[in-house]
Amino acid sequence: MARLLLLLWSLGPMLWQLVSSLRTSDALSGLASGGWTLEHYRQLLQGDPPFLTYLLNSAVVGVCSTALTLALAVPCAYALTRIGRRQARSLTLLVAAAAAFPAVLLFLALLELARDWHLANQLLALSLPYAGLCLPLAILLLQAAFADIPIELEEAALIEGMGLWQRLRWVLLPLLAPAMASSALLVFLFSWNEYPIALTWLSRTELLTLAPAMARIAGSSVYTIPYGAFAAATVLGSAPLIALMLLFQRQIISGLTQGAIKG
Amino acid sequence: MSSSTPAGFMGLELCALSRQVGSHTLVDQLSLQVAPGEILALLGPSGCGKSSTLRLIAGLDRASSGEIRLGGRVITALAPAERQVAMVFQSYALFPHLSVERNLSLGMELRGLAKAEIQHQLEQVLALMQLEGLRQRKPAELSGGQRQRVALARALIRRPALFLLDEPMSNLDAQLRDNLRAELRTLLRSTGVPVVYVTHDQHEAMGLADRIAVLREGRLQQLGTAETLYRDPTNRFVARFLGSPSINLIERGEEQLGLRPELLELAEAGSPVPQGWEALEGELSHREWLGDRVISHVHCPGQASLKVLSREAPADGALQLRWRQAHALRFEARSGKRLPGSGAAHPS
Amino acid sequence: MRWRLWLLMAPALALLLAVFAVPLLHYLWLSTQAQSVLTGLLPEPIGAQQWLRLWNDSRFWQDTWQTLRFSAASVSLEMLLGLAIALLLDQPLRGRGVLRTISLLPWALPTTVMALGWRWIFNDPYGPINRLVAGLGLPAIPFLSNPAITWMAAVGADTWKTTPFVALLLLAGLQAIPADLYEAAALEGATPWQTLRRITLPLLTPYLLIALLFRLAQALGVFDLIQVLTGGGPAGSTESLALYAYLNAMRFLDFGYSATLLLGSFAILLVLCGAAALLWRGNSRLQGALR
Repeated sequence: MARLLLLLWSLGPMLWQLVSSLRTSDALSGLASGGWTLEHYRQLLQGDPPFLTYLLNSAVVGVCSTALTLALAVPCAYALTRIGRRQARSLTLLVAAAAAFPAVLLFLALLELARDWHLANQLLALSLPYAGLCLPLAILLLQAAFADIPIELEEAALIEGMGLWQRLRWVLLPLLAPAMASSALLVFLFSWNEYPIALTWLSRTELLTLAPAMARIAGSSVYTIPYGAFAAATVLGSAPLIALMLLFQRQIISGLTQGAIKG
Repeated sequence: MSSSTPAGFMGLELCALSRQVGSHTLVDQLSLQVAPGEILALLGPSGCGKSSTLRLIAGLDRASSGEIRLGGRVITALAPAERQVAMVFQSYALFPHLSVERNLSLGMELRGLAKAEIQHQLEQVLALMQLEGLRQRKPAELSGGQRQRVALARALIRRPALFLLDEPMSNLDAQLRDNLRAELRTLLRSTGVPVVYVTHDQHEAMGLADRIAVLREGRLQQLGTAETLYRDPTNRFVARFLGSPSINLIERGEEQLGLRPELLELAEAGSPVPQGWEALEGELSHREWLGDRVISHVHCPGQASLKVLSREAPADGALQLRWRQAHALRFEARSGKRLPGSGAAHPS
Repeated sequence: MRWRLWLLMAPALALLLAVFAVPLLHYLWLSTQAQSVLTGLLPEPIGAQQWLRLWNDSRFWQDTWQTLRFSAASVSLEMLLGLAIALLLDQPLRGRGVLRTISLLPWALPTTVMALGWRWIFNDPYGPINRLVAGLGLPAIPFLSNPAITWMAAVGADTWKTTPFVALLLLAGLQAIPADLYEAAALEGATPWQTLRRITLPLLTPYLLIALLFRLAQALGVFDLIQVLTGGGPAGSTESLALYAYLNAMRFLDFGYSATLLLGSFAILLVLCGAAALLWRGNSRLQGALR
């Protein structure tokens, strides 16, 4: 019984969107009963720019931010586990505080940075603030994973004559793969969903990522009785994430819990 | 053991080696030598500095002062890779994501050895360590003994100038450990390089090593063969650390008499004490039966429980405990220092 | 060796400073500058005037109250529901893994996407809830047009989205509790309620605290949801501090005051999260002393 309720609570709103997106506008406004259509999807996909552009933009920013975050977080997390315990603890505390910080409070200063460095309306430049905002979580996760690798493994590699890069490449990173996958997925989710910074950095329609595009659709009057199109947009915007969740739920869940607990 | 070094000594030498961390002294002015082909055991309780010493020799930690020489070359400041040492870790430190084969060959690959050469050495070591059948296995799929063989193989394949082992047996069960001791000794001797073997297990040290260095709080207590350490310990710490059951200490005011359990004899209560002997009257509290021998725990007034190792079990009740005066080791009660002129006439 | 480690950390630390520390310092400076349409968008030093303005700004205080109300309601709802769901998912039931994944789905959706969805669900009269209400012959609920109700609608949508996160965290905490403790309690004849009260909750404390602090900080910065769901309306009754700061910068082009508002929000966040952490710590120390 409780399980059914939970299922309904979680899925109900999403299913309602799916149903709405497939109904005719007349059916939605109660003028007619019945009536199913793909019209709303057609409208979205043929819009100017087509809705897929937003998904593509989000994917590009997501991949780029993920790569940048990992490239910065891995060496940092490694160093944090090897540096003295006292320094590591105070740094970790700061990083954990940053992980909980609501990003929206930073939008104004980041906007000014974007203006000063001519980064506004540069899709890939969004990866910089995104990587910065995701670094705390990624560092915490990877640091915990590094700490779980026995130090003797690295010492054995050291005695074998491996340099730092070789030790990372051949010994540590292969063992870190699960934590890296978890962090990568969480960073990707974050960049896919991020709103205030994308909203203020991007103004050209064809560059918008999903989140500001959704808000723009919500505020637009292009769609006269727009809810069918709204619903279709929410379905299309959610589908890739739901697929990601279902495919990688194990890594995402372990990343979420590890990140929060070790931090 | 701060003897002067013979010119051209080709083994391992530690000269006044120290390591301090903060106000803590982990290794204190340690000097010793290990000849090529010799196995030296570093023995002591946990925290005595034996592992720290090993890590200094390997180059994993930095010495605060003193010198390490290997084959006449000073290696104190060299990185681990440049020392040509091999180390077997307590946990074996096998790379869990690599097969046995790759665990052994990775170091050679990264050093840029030719493929054929790597293959040749690999086959040799796999055959020597009887690991041919396991070459594709991951460490998690191996038993404890097999893992230890892989760790040894990885050390051997380096052709090291120095062999270091950190409690390599402590993760094996007791039965296996007993069986492996002789095998390991033969293998280590065959390398012809100095071997330093860290252990807290006296049986292992006595069974494996040519000489034993007993450490306590970072300081060398005594260095010698197992027999010397057992029969002629320099202080109470060494006397108590070696031997099982451990040595009996009999209180004598300012002094303590150290008597090995096998040197105590049991007699009927109140028997006359012969010339050159001493005795205590006591009562049997309980017996431990070992199969071929019995440990009798005897309670004497004013003494801690004393252990006697004998072939036959004594009867219950009052009895006399006696020993040859010449067998007793005399220690200063407060400092534990061995007093001169005692324990000379030890039976062989 | 030491300097090499710092070198490895340097790029990440530099970016962290640029993204977190530099903005806060910049706000500190900007809050003493007038930078708006009136100054031609160029900064002019005006001292503490904007802080005075903040103090006397009734809209700031109203938004503070609204943000606190929203945060208190949604965080406490999320903690309670999250605990209930975690306890449910901790039971050895069939299909637990699938249920866990499904219940996490709302958390993964972009806030703007799900806010748009909820706008449709709350629609008057075509949303599903109001259709149901109409079917029962009752008057429609003006979810998005009545100041007394709209903020609760926002709380509802936020709860839907973030409860899974809390539940997942608490579930991890529950699964970290050794089973033999429960077995020992069962041997002692403890009732389920006693077990929850004496074993589960005390051992779950660190997880509850982490979830609480994290959710509180995020809720106090609520922006995406409000902007898309209600736009701050009706009549500003759901406007949050972050939204007010955003409007000042992007609509009124008053950057100096926007920075002041952002710093003000940050101060409130710091005080509340700090108080929560201290209270909790004091409480656990008290409990430790009593034990």
